[in-house]
Amino acid sequence: MQKVLYQKPGWLYSVIAVFGFIFAIIAGFFVKGVDDSVAQWGAHVTSDGTLFKWMFDYVFSPMSATMFSLLAFFVASASYRAFRIRNFEATLLLVSGIIIMVGRVPIGGVISSWFIMYLIVLCLGIYVNSLKQDMKITFVLVAVGISLVTIGGVISGWPIDQPGIFYLPSIQEWIYFYPNVAGARAIMIGIGLGIFATSIRYILGIERSYIGE
Amino acid sequence: MSKLNKIEDIFLKIGSVDRRWIFIVIAVVVIIPLLVPIGLPIRATDTSKSVYDAIEALPKGSNVLLSIEYSPSTKPENHPMTISIMRHLFRNDQKVYITCLWPDGQFMAQDALKQVAEGEFNKTYGEDYVLLGYRPGGEAVVKGIVSNIRKLFSVDAKQTKVDDIPMMDGITNFKDFDFLFSASAGYPGTIEWVQYAADPTGVPMSSGVTSIQVNEVMPYVQSGQMVGVLAGMPGAAEYESLINQKGSATSGMDAQSVAHLVIVLFIVLGNISFFIERKRSRKY
Repeated sequence: MQKVLYQKPGWLYSVIAVFGFIFAIIAGFFVKGVDDSVAQWGAHVTSDGTLFKWMFDYVFSPMSATMFSLLAFFVASASYRAFRIRNFEATLLLVSGIIIMVGRVPIGGVISSWFIMYLIVLCLGIYVNSLKQDMKITFVLVAVGISLVTIGGVISGWPIDQPGIFYLPSIQEWIYFYPNVAGARAIMIGIGLGIFATSIRYILGIERSYIGE
Repeated sequence: MSKLNKIEDIFLKIGSVDRRWIFIVIAVVVIIPLLVPIGLPIRATDTSKSVYDAIEALPKGSNVLLSIEYSPSTKPENHPMTISIMRHLFRNDQKVYITCLWPDGQFMAQDALKQVAEGEFNKTYGEDYVLLGYRPGGEAVVKGIVSNIRKLFSVDAKQTKVDDIPMMDGITNFKDFDFLFSASAGYPGTIEWVQYAADPTGVPMSSGVTSIQVNEVMPYVQSGQMVGVLAGMPGAAEYESLINQKGSATSGMDAQSVAHLVIVLFIVLGNISFFIERKRSRKY
């Protein structure tokens, strides 16, 4: 209200917010929009044809969905700028993130594990080249790797999901079930121990910040 | 200037592109597959199959509690799950009791019931399904349902006394239900149902959650406190394929697939530009 009264920057948005607040109160408590035979007070909130239901369907729902869908754009922009291979931990996070992102969706299921193997060989080549700075070693490594993968593929008939450890949906499931669960459990146990320790401090009178000391 | 330097400069330019271009690209790659579906094959994961098997194994006429705790913001992820679960339950002639831990959940539940119970299965309110509605209190509501549901819900969402609803006969507490499915987008939701209802009483439960919630819910699935989980929109699409009835989640998967690939491409391009920058800064 202060923002509106003193016309601070962006005060027009505040006018809309205050209007929305008042409108919701009116629609909820004073104006039903239909007769008692259609909807009683209380049930009118979710009944078709009422002012409140109209507000929910045509104002709140689209705005709420719009706010949440903006996330996709910010995630894309943020990952473009912030997801960098700076150190080992960041690389681990990046690789797991990519596996989860691609492995969770149907397109991950159509990417053959052999393609992933070729990709790994090429990445290994880049890594070795940056370490040794020797084209011969890099070339031999990449050539041997590609040959081995190709021979393996020809022998096994190129099954899309075999070997499983290179199939993205299988890897993402493994990440969800093991490293992720381990981390989530560690956080839960940590929170539990923290609550326990804080409670003990309160009970024993060691923690007195809540009474202003 | 060598050819390599020119290529590096192009990557550097891409690396410093205005974020509005990224927004446009994302918008385009999301809209196109929605308008022209690719029809990528959907492969059900074990966690989704577990949910399907658990519901399929319920005897006819079982009492299933369906708890709706999401709002319009996560409707594209959670609503297809609710609709598919309802379809599966009504197809198997189960009795569906709906509660909401979120105020918006009641609107979502009504929307799904209108589409599935009334529109597709022509089920009778009060005999085949009942919408008990929203009660505030989070965990307290869950505890209330566990101890005495009639104290908490004296009337349903239509303000009808629960004593006058035929399918409420014999329902006094959480143990009278055979299965619980929670369609959840956060707190209060799935975790509260596990901790205060399903685990203490032994009533089997499952859940459909948003993608970002999967991390915190997965320990309960792995420990067996929950029977599977529908993870985000892919989970909803998998369930749609399991019940052989495609819906909005399936059509959304193409868009999500392409969008994820483009985000990965952005990450790769961003890193290439980062390495070039680092190389040049070391050089000079």
